[in-house]
Amino acid sequence: MQLDTEQRVTELSIKELLVAQQLGAKPQVVERLAVADNIRDLLPDSGLVRGRIVRCSGDAGLSLALSLCSLATQQGSWLGVVGVDNLGLVSAVEHGIALERTVLVHPPKTSREWSITVAAAIEGFDLLIVAVPERLSVSDARRVQTRLQSRRAVMIIIDNTPLSQSRSTSDSNGAQQFLADVVLDTRTKSWSGVNGGAGYLQHRDVRIRVSGRRVARERNYLVTRAD
Amino acid sequence: MPAPRRLAVLRCLDWSAVVAAKNSTTPCAVVHAQRVISRTPAAMRYGVQVGMRRRHAQALCPDIEIVAHQPSRDRTTFDTVVRSVNELVPLIEVGEPGLIVFAARGPSRYMGGDGSMASKIFEALKTSVADSRLAASLVGLAVGVGVADSRLAAQIAAHASAVASRTANLFTPYVVEPDKTSEWLAPQSVRVLSEFANINRETISLLERLGLNTLQDVCALSESVLAGRFGELGVELHRLARGDEQYPLAVVPHPPEHLCIEKFDEPVSDQQIIINSVQRMAGAFTEHYSVHGSVCVRIVIVFESEAGNRSERLWYRPQGLTTSAIIENAKWQLEAWLSSGHESHVGENRVFESHGLESHGLVRVQLIADEVRTDTARQLRLWGGSTQTDETATQAIGRLSELLGSSAVQVAKWQGGRDLLDSYELVSATHAQTTDSANSGEQRSAQNWRGALPNPSPSVVYAEPIQVQINDHLGKLLSVSARHELSASPVVVIIGSTHYKVNSWAGPWPVEERWWDSARSRRLVRLQLVCEKITTDSAPQILAMLAILEHGEWTVAALYN
Repeated sequence: MQLDTEQRVTELSIKELLVAQQLGAKPQVVERLAVADNIRDLLPDSGLVRGRIVRCSGDAGLSLALSLCSLATQQGSWLGVVGVDNLGLVSAVEHGIALERTVLVHPPKTSREWSITVAAAIEGFDLLIVAVPERLSVSDARRVQTRLQSRRAVMIIIDNTPLSQSRSTSDSNGAQQFLADVVLDTRTKSWSGVNGGAGYLQHRDVRIRVSGRRVARERNYLVTRAD
Repeated sequence: MPAPRRLAVLRCLDWSAVVAAKNSTTPCAVVHAQRVISRTPAAMRYGVQVGMRRRHAQALCPDIEIVAHQPSRDRTTFDTVVRSVNELVPLIEVGEPGLIVFAARGPSRYMGGDGSMASKIFEALKTSVADSRLAASLVGLAVGVGVADSRLAAQIAAHASAVASRTANLFTPYVVEPDKTSEWLAPQSVRVLSEFANINRETISLLERLGLNTLQDVCALSESVLAGRFGELGVELHRLARGDEQYPLAVVPHPPEHLCIEKFDEPVSDQQIIINSVQRMAGAFTEHYSVHGSVCVRIVIVFESEAGNRSERLWYRPQGLTTSAIIENAKWQLEAWLSSGHESHVGENRVFESHGLESHGLVRVQLIADEVRTDTARQLRLWGGSTQTDETATQAIGRLSELLGSSAVQVAKWQGGRDLLDSYELVSATHAQTTDSANSGEQRSAQNWRGALPNPSPSVVYAEPIQVQINDHLGKLLSVSARHELSASPVVVIIGSTHYKVNSWAGPWPVEERWWDSARSRRLVRLQLVCEKITTDSAPQILAMLAILEHGEWTVAALYN
């Protein structure tokens, strides 16, 4: 079943390419960005489809977002990290992000300026990891989404709540203004590697719930991740 | 076999510093990215060298005048020199402010030999400089002219001549006899390649480590051996070393000539409109050559005004002229032409030039490819998409920096360190792109640092660690003894008003850095904690964090998100 959809999507993009060439247009870039094998099955179209929004929430959201982007940046796509404070760069490298094609952008946290910045970043980068400010107006969010779809970039939204804040307030933030195509909600079940002073953190079991507009049926996965 | 081309190079040493200095006696240095890129002779006497750090230069000479690098200032001031040379030699090429290259055969035959041509040019230069506003600061300027069969040799000769003129205070041109260029080049050190021919330093250092110290040694090897070791670069090295000006014969035939010309029905005097049309033409021009797998390295840009006056100049870029380079050059040429019009209205000594764009509009712009070679350096990927994405990303970085200020748009640069915040340095993206793009492609990790944290690393690293309280089962604050032993097992972590129950932990790992330096020394203890949030609802939230004890205070430095 999985293979069938994949084949169809490939055929489709080849057909589009041929049509575009006949029309004398420049060859279109591939419609999907590649994702590493071990997490490809999480996504409904086994890849990051351009023009879509993915939301990674929960307590393993950031590392999941980083591993989603890694293969695409290695293959030449640029990654813009907008409004994410305190990103661990060593961790990003360990996930396989090509740092030479990664740009960190720190916009002001107001709705207007944030959306202008994200729209400018969409113009230049294939991939975006963004943290949405608390108050984002509906119209600004809509504008960003329209730009994203016309420029065929992929936006990954992560929660960037400070540690001291409780989880309940984070649900009411501006990320709700975006209609995410895929929502990956993570929850760490357990960590392994440490034991009463000995060892060090090595693996964790994460439950990932996949939902969203583009997902026909909500699915649950239990994944062991080395991060 | 075509007759070897003879080239003359005119070089003004340290142009940008000499121009920037208030007068010829003050020590002055031009600084870009915290490094000295040019300095006046006065500063040189204090030992200030090119490539030195700004602080170092200031330490050597406390009252040195530090000036920011400003390419436009150098360019506009250099136009005085360009114009005076242009009166004697019709077609010249301006490489950078302070450097003029032209074909020597015609002018030297007309003016009676290479030596007398050089002196004539120098005389013309001296009078025009004395007339200009810059006369005061240009007193100490060292000018040299070199003539040889190849560009590299002519540049070295010009440099030698300029240095000799400065020490002897007398203009002495340096002429390498025809057909003697390769013998003359032979004893030169390979370092001249990095200084004058854009070969990077790593390659030069490698050549030296291979025992190839002079160009003679490089020449003695066969070209195929060098090509086998260095690829295209090897062929280029051999070509430069033997003093050959011709590029190797191309495997593919040269593309057909491209007629790139734009005529305006209505004379145009707005500079921006002209630049816009040059932009369009340059795009089509580079596209034409890249489709044929070649690149234009020398171009003639021609502007023609309504009154029939022309401005014609050669531009050279060994890496190949990109669209943006052509536009930049055209802008420079146009600005120079405009200002020459201005000046000649005031002074009478150059009446034949009194026809700027002010009075007459421009009617024709033309780009002519002068030298084309096969494009070897940059190979587009299969779909041609990769470089395209890089280009759009670079443009976006520029736009974002305009929007937010350059400090808000950053890229990471590896610098190493055992602390999570130290191992990568965030630098402004626009700055990083102009200084080095060589940083890319290298995979480095913090693993070879002793005392670095084990894999995997936390994905959230707080720039300002969060104050926490870590208590043991009695509710007492956890402490670490001098022997790095915990006073008890950690049981609860309190962040703000939230309590976290500690499920498991690892550590403590001590870090002691720079104990010899009291100002920068650090002593701390790290602890990995797996916590569970104490909540009433069914599903517990599990967090892994990195806690640090420093100066008796616990903080959370990072989170395994």
